[in-house]
Amino acid sequence: MAEIKFASMDEVRTYLGKKREEEIEIDGTVIRAYCECIGDPNPKWSDTAPPGLVTTAMVSSGAMLLGVPLPFKRSVAGGADWEFFKPIKKGDVIHTSHEFSELQDKTSDKGPRALMVYRSTHKNQKGEIVAISTNTIMSY
Amino acid sequence: MAQVYYEDVKEGSDIPTLEKTPTARTLVMWAGASGDFFELHYDKDFAKSMGFPNVLVHGRLEAAFLTQLLTDWVGDKGEVKKMSVQYRGNAFPGEKLLCKGKVTKKYVQDGQNLVELEIWVENPEGKKITPGTAVVALPSK
Repeated sequence: MAEIKFASMDEVRTYLGKKREEEIEIDGTVIRAYCECIGDPNPKWSDTAPPGLVTTAMVSSGAMLLGVPLPFKRSVAGGADWEFFKPIKKGDVIHTSHEFSELQDKTSDKGPRALMVYRSTHKNQKGEIVAISTNTIMSY
Repeated sequence: MAQVYYEDVKEGSDIPTLEKTPTARTLVMWAGASGDFFELHYDKDFAKSMGFPNVLVHGRLEAAFLTQLLTDWVGDKGEVKKMSVQYRGNAFPGEKLLCKGKVTKKYVQDGQNLVELEIWVENPEGKKITPGTAVVALPSK
C-alpha cells in the first residue's frame, strides 16, 4: 500500500491544479472482465463498453495517484459523479487527464473537515470527450 | 427485456429492481477489473485494523451496479447521460443489495427525451447506503 502523506491545509492547497495523464486501451478483455465481475450479461456489451466501465478505479480514480497529501488523519470516499457524452467502443484508447481541482475547508465546531475534489476528463483516440468524472474525498 | 419508451414513463413510478449479492470473490474480481487494490477490500486483518468487522464492498462497485440498473432499464435505444452517488454506508460481502430507482421528472430538452431518477443501493436492513441521482435519455414511439 502506498504510504499516505499528510500536510497542512495551506500545503495541500498548493497541489491544486496538479495533473496526471493516463491511457488505457479498452479491448475485449477489459470489457469482459468488467461485465463478468458485476454480472452483466447484456449482449450489447460485445463491441461497446458499458458506461459503468468509467466508474472503475482504472479510468476514474487514478486521480488518487496524484499523490496529494491529506490534511487530516482520516479520509473516506464521499461521492462521485459522471457525465457520459459518447459510448466507449471496443478498441478505443481512452486518454484520461486527472486533476486535483478543488479543496473546500468545512472545518466547524464539530471538528476539522475538508472536501477534496478530483476531476477526470476521459477522451478517445479521436480527441472526443467520452466522459467526465469527479470524485470527492472527505478528510476529517 | 422490452424497450421502454419516453411516453410510457410516469413521474413517481419505480423502475425494476436489480438484485446483487457481491461475494469476496466478486471483490477480488473487481480489484482486478478496476485496478483498485486497496487492502480494505480484500484483507480482513487490514479491515479490522481500521475498525471494520469485515472487508468492505467497493463503493465504486455499487456505483457500477447502479449503472447496470440504468442500462438494463433504458434498453438498447436509451442512453445513460449522468449519474451521481454519495457513499453513506458500508456493504459487506455476502449481503444482498437491492439497486432501485424512481422517476422524479421527465422533460424534452434540445430534442432529447430526458428522464431524471432518484437511484440508490439498499442494504439488508433497508438503509439507502449509496443514494444518488441520474439522467437518462429514452426513445420516443
